[in-house]
Order: sequence, then structure tokens, then C-alpha cells
Amino acid sequence: MLPAQLGRAPRHLLVCERSHARHPRSRHAAHVRDHAYSCRVSFLIPECGVLPEVVKSTIADIGDYYLVRSLPVHELVTHEFIDAFVKKGSCYALSYKTKIDQDNTAALLPNGKLILSVDKGTYEELGLQGRPSRYSGKKVMRYIITIDLTDAGFQPESKKHNRVLWALKEKKPLEFDFLLAWYNTGAEGSTLMSYFSKNQIQALKPKITFSTLRDLQCPVLQSNDLQGKPEESCSTEELFEWLGAVLNQVSLDNKSSSFLSTYCCPEPNTVVEKAFLCTITGFIIPEKIIQLLEQLCSYFSEPKLAYWLTLTVHGFADSPVSWRESEHGFHKGGENLYNFVIFRNLDYWLQMAVGAHDDCPP
Amino acid sequence: MAGFADLNLPQGLDKKSLQSLLDTAAHLGYSAVALNHVIDFKEKKQEIAKPVSPSELFPSLPIVQGTSKRIKVLTRLTLIVSDPSHCNLLRSTSANIRLYDIIAVFPKTEKLFHIACTTLDVDLVCINVTEKLPFYFRRPPVNMAIDRGIYFELLYTPAIKDSTMRRYTISNAISLMQICKGKNIVISSAAERPLELRGPYDVANLGLLFGLSEGEAKAAVSTNCRAAMLHGETRKSACGVVYTVKKPRKVEEEETAVPACKKAKTQA
Amino acid sequence: MAAAAFERRVLRRAAEHHYLRVRLELPDGGARPNAAQFKQLVVTALRELHGEVGAALPVDVLTYEEKTLSAILRVISSGLVKLWSALTLLGFYQNRRCAFRVLQVKPCGAGWLPPDVSSGSKLGRLPKPTAFS
Repeated sequence: MLPAQLGRAPRHLLVCERSHARHPRSRHAAHVRDHAYSCRVSFLIPECGVLPEVVKSTIADIGDYYLVRSLPVHELVTHEFIDAFVKKGSCYALSYKTKIDQDNTAALLPNGKLILSVDKGTYEELGLQGRPSRYSGKKVMRYIITIDLTDAGFQPESKKHNRVLWALKEKKPLEFDFLLAWYNTGAEGSTLMSYFSKNQIQALKPKITFSTLRDLQCPVLQSNDLQGKPEESCSTEELFEWLGAVLNQVSLDNKSSSFLSTYCCPEPNTVVEKAFLCTITGFIIPEKIIQLLEQLCSYFSEPKLAYWLTLTVHGFADSPVSWRESEHGFHKGGENLYNFVIFRNLDYWLQMAVGAHDDCPP
Repeated sequence: MAGFADLNLPQGLDKKSLQSLLDTAAHLGYSAVALNHVIDFKEKKQEIAKPVSPSELFPSLPIVQGTSKRIKVLTRLTLIVSDPSHCNLLRSTSANIRLYDIIAVFPKTEKLFHIACTTLDVDLVCINVTEKLPFYFRRPPVNMAIDRGIYFELLYTPAIKDSTMRRYTISNAISLMQICKGKNIVISSAAERPLELRGPYDVANLGLLFGLSEGEAKAAVSTNCRAAMLHGETRKSACGVVYTVKKPRKVEEEETAVPACKKAKTQA
Repeated sequence: MAAAAFERRVLRRAAEHHYLRVRLELPDGGARPNAAQFKQLVVTALRELHGEVGAALPVDVLTYEEKTLSAILRVISSGLVKLWSALTLLGFYQNRRCAFRVLQVKPCGAGWLPPDVSSGSKLGRLPKPTAFS
């Protein structure tokens, strides 16, 4: 008897959508907004040697984020913090260096929901209401607690607030290193830096790299055909795989007889003389990604040689959520990412991929 | 807390080798390891020594890769038993035995396997992976062991070293799985060198080769190890582990937020 | 300008391939395999554990860096568990001990993060390429 698992690969999902960026009911911005925690954004523009100034300034303005060391979670549920940040903009927090399949993890979503993903022991000690993790197996070892900080019943001195504060402060004090970012339209008010000045806080800048790829084989795509047609255009899956190869500098022109690798660019393809690749790494919030996406759409407002460009966003592998409040698990890779292909006529493809421990993307 | 664990690093190595094993284990993402002291009763009369003190041996423990925590080091005693008389030691309340965090027994015969599963106060039962099984696994003792919270340990290092042992490892593991249905399995290394250690996700994938499901395979390097450690704690204190926490009574209990069920922690 | 019609496709287990980012660890001072020898080693590992059927599994070495002994492998999804277990149980290269470290396993091409991402983000899952003896 040989185990049946041997020929089976873990489950994963790839969702592809096609629409138009200027269509009134297009959901592209909503999909970006709903994916809160991104660690890496890259875009690739074929037939482009120099970035337009507007795109450059958008990248430069992608925003600082903060790393606060040993921050007790109860500080995030005080009303000073809620009033100063959570209610006055979009506040993002994610525990740093915590592994979603092993450790306690915390995340604050911009809608004011605080999510704690904790092991059984911690859950029982905290005594706050939650639900079993969906990916914890038959014997539940992990629980998810969601606390709505902006809920009407969560007023200062309310029973609910006092209980949460007491649980996090005295029953089972939890603390993490947190990545923090805050987005608000009005400029006034205090800043995270001054608010957490008593804690060990550090402002970090996203790391940005540019490169120009020469003589790149690019698949031919038809904006109205996700599935592609032989001899005419490539499918969305083929593009996705090609993009992975390009981002990892894999050689694309192998022969089927080659010993090392038989991977080659999907057919049909064209060779572009140069392509511009930019990668931004950090704690990047959706508001900034939407701005970048808009700038990339405007790239086509003047005639360009490129027929399409791509914007790829990787989520944190150890985030407790992927889209909205959908639970996310690591399983074997923790992938949660999306990719836009924006066509010259502003049609777009959106590809959203998740691994075995995720809901279907929205 | 349910991080990855390797419950079997041989303690008999020199300090430098042990340190490099420990560094590699932390680097590969293990958050806990157990130093294994083996006693084989076939080799003359053996005294059970006190366990080494990990904190004395390693003043500074390495940080687990990708976290900010240090690796946790436990002590473990493994008794290789080939005669029922060897078990007497376990029944006696030997002071030194109780100092070990985990106690394992390696039964060499079917009768001893039965005794280990059904009556001995141990945390782990080692499964032979280096030679052809000398007996069949039978359902009653295996089920009894599972009910008693005892875990079965499979080792993977022999399968890396030698292709014959690799065959025995896989075939003995599959035989066991047919009886235990993938429950209560722990996979450890028994690695003597850093190059024999494998990462926790790699070991979990090996579990699939042994006939475990994905969930069971991951549990075999994480939650099951933790359960075995807790079983050891319970055995040490002989009356169950009860954590008491200071509980200031400032807030009223009947709340909109319902407190979670407060089950005994040892159940984990 | 006619707005494109909305279309949505959900692909389950869509990926034909899985990708593994691996690093080979060797004792210091020995000969390092070149790309062809590296591929040969992967095939040997497959043959040792899964026999001729295993050795016949199509595996591509998409990238290989001799300096760091790091590679990206591509395998058809149904062969992932076989390839991974074969690499895990490989213990020797040219009669000297070795270990394959599997750093990442991903189902989709673009899902893959280049290793530099570990800095600045919390993807500390990628062990740094330091050599162990």
C-alpha cells in the first residue's frame, strides 16, 4: 500500500476577473482596499525605458510605516488610541515576526476590527468570545477573536470595553512587535511617532528597486479573452506563470530538449526591447496601492508602445486575514496575492491567488 | 505555543556538536528540542543519571529563525527495554527519572510493546525504524496508548543515512498507520549532525510518505509534540497540571462577551 | 468606448506546476556541483526514493546559482510530494554528507517572492543563506 497523498498537491485557488477600469461598477479599487496587508508591490511596463514623473512621485510618496517594539495589545483598545487614529482615518497594524501557524498573531484592520488569532491555551486564559479557526483541524488548537473597536457598545467604561481591557491587560497580557501605518486625509492630529514616543518606535521607509529588462519575451494577450486561443493569445494562467519567471529572473528561451529546464515563454509572444520593472517592499497600505494603480492607468492616456502592463501585490504570508476578514492560514506557503494586467484601453484583468488555508477571494 | 519541535537530539555528543545542532534546529524554525539520554538495559547495569541542565550547558540559546524567541530545550530519557524486568525502574518512583521532562520507552518485543502502551507511565513509545519489525502492531494496545495520551515516535535520520533503513522506516511507519490511523504520531530526527536535520515543513511532507494526512503530518512535528510535552509535565507532577493565575476581581462576570469554555488545559 | 463585459473565472488546483526554492548544503571545502551536476543530483534523489518512475518525473531547474547552491525547481503539481520527499531524504553528494533545504513551496508562478523580500518585511520564513558545516 502506498499513501494516496503522494500524487496530490495542496489545494490552491486562482480567481481571474476581467472588467474595465472606468466602468462604474468595476470592483478593482474595492479588491485592493479589501486586501489590507501587503509586503511587496511590483509593476512591469513593457516598452518603457524611463518612468513618467507622476509615477515616480507616487512611488516616492508611498509612505513610511512604523515598527513598534513590545507594544501591549491593550494599548490598541484604549479610547485615546481609537479616537486619535482608528476613527480618524485608516489605521493598519500587524504583529511582526509572528507565525500564523504557530504563534499568537494580532492585526488591526482599517475598519476598526482588531483580530486576534491565538492558540487554545491563550484563548482560554483570555476568556474573550471567539470562534475556532477554520484551519485548525478536528481538534481545535487555534481560535480567532474579533473585536470591533468602533462598535457602539464599545464606549469608554462600557462593560464590553472594560472586559476586553481587563482580559488583555490583566488576565492574559499580550504584547507584540507591531508594524503600523496610518492613512488620513486631513493632515492635523497627532502622529503615530509622537503617540508611541514612549514605546520603542522606529519609522521605516519602503525599499524601492528599479531595473530595466532587455530583450524580454512577452506573451501576447487579448484583453477580452481570459482563456486565450492557440496561435492568437495567451491565457491568464500562462501570464501568471510567466510573470513569476520574470520576477525571478528565470531564463525564458529553453528548448524542449534542454536537460536543465524546459520552461519557455508561452506562445504566441513578442520580444520587447526593454521593459521597466519596479519593486517596492515594506508595509504598504491599500490607499497607496490604489494611487499607484490610478497612475499606471493614466500611463496610457498618452499613446504608448506597450499594449499592457502589470501590477503585482503580495500579501504577508503570516497575516491572519487575506481579503476583508477572511481567515488566512500558512499551510505550506501562505500565499495571498493579486495581479492586475492593465490594457491600453483600460480593460483590466485581475488575478487573485490564495493557498490551501484561505477562503475564495471576493 | 504550538511551534515546531524535535523531541530527539542525542545528548551524548560533545558540547560543540550539540551547540551546532541546536543552532541549526533554531535556524530551521524549531522552537523546542529535547536532549535525549538513552539507556539500553542490555548493556550492563545502568544507573539513571540526573538530566543535564540545558541552561548550564548553553548559557545563551539561539533565537528561532523568523521570531524573537529563543529555542526551548527540554530533557528526555529513553529506556530501551528488552525484558519485562527492565520496566520495574519505571514503576518505581525513582527520583532521577522524575526530573526528566519527557520519558520514552523503546520496546523490543511485542509483549513489552503491549506493556508500554497499556501500563507504563511514559510519554512516548519509540517505533523501530532501523530493522524489520520484530512483531505486528495490534489494535488493542495501540488504541489504549492513544486513549492514555501516549505518542508513537518515528525517526527520520536513519532514512537519510541508509537506503535499507529507509525501506524499513517507510514500511514500519505504514504498518503502524494502518493500526493507529494516523493518530498520536510524533516525528523526530535523532540527528547527530546539522546536515542530518531537516526543516519542520520538510518533515511534515515526509509524513505524507508514511501515510499521514496533511493535517496529521503537520501535527506530528508541532501540536503532538506539545501534547507529549504536556503529558510529561502532568506525569512529573503526578496529579495533572493546573495553572493558577492571579485573578483580580474588578469586573463583573456576566458580560455581553461570553467567556470561553474553561476546559482543563492538559487536554491540549 | 464600450466597457468590457465583466467576467470571472475561479480556477481550483489550476496550477499545473509547483515551484520550490531550495538550497543545497554541503560541508565546507568540497567540490560544488555545476548546474548539470545539480540537476543530476535531483534526479538521483528522485530515483533513490521513487525508482525509475520518480526519476522520470519532469523537473526543471529554472535558476541555479553555483555560488550559493540555490535553485528554483519546477515540478508538475502531481509530483510535488514525491520531489520534496526525495530531496528531504537525500543525504549524500559524491559520498559526502549534504542536505537540501526547501525554503519555499508555491503553487503559482507569480506567487513566488524573490528572497530579498525577507528584509524589511516579516517574511522571515526564508532562512538566510549561511552555510553550516
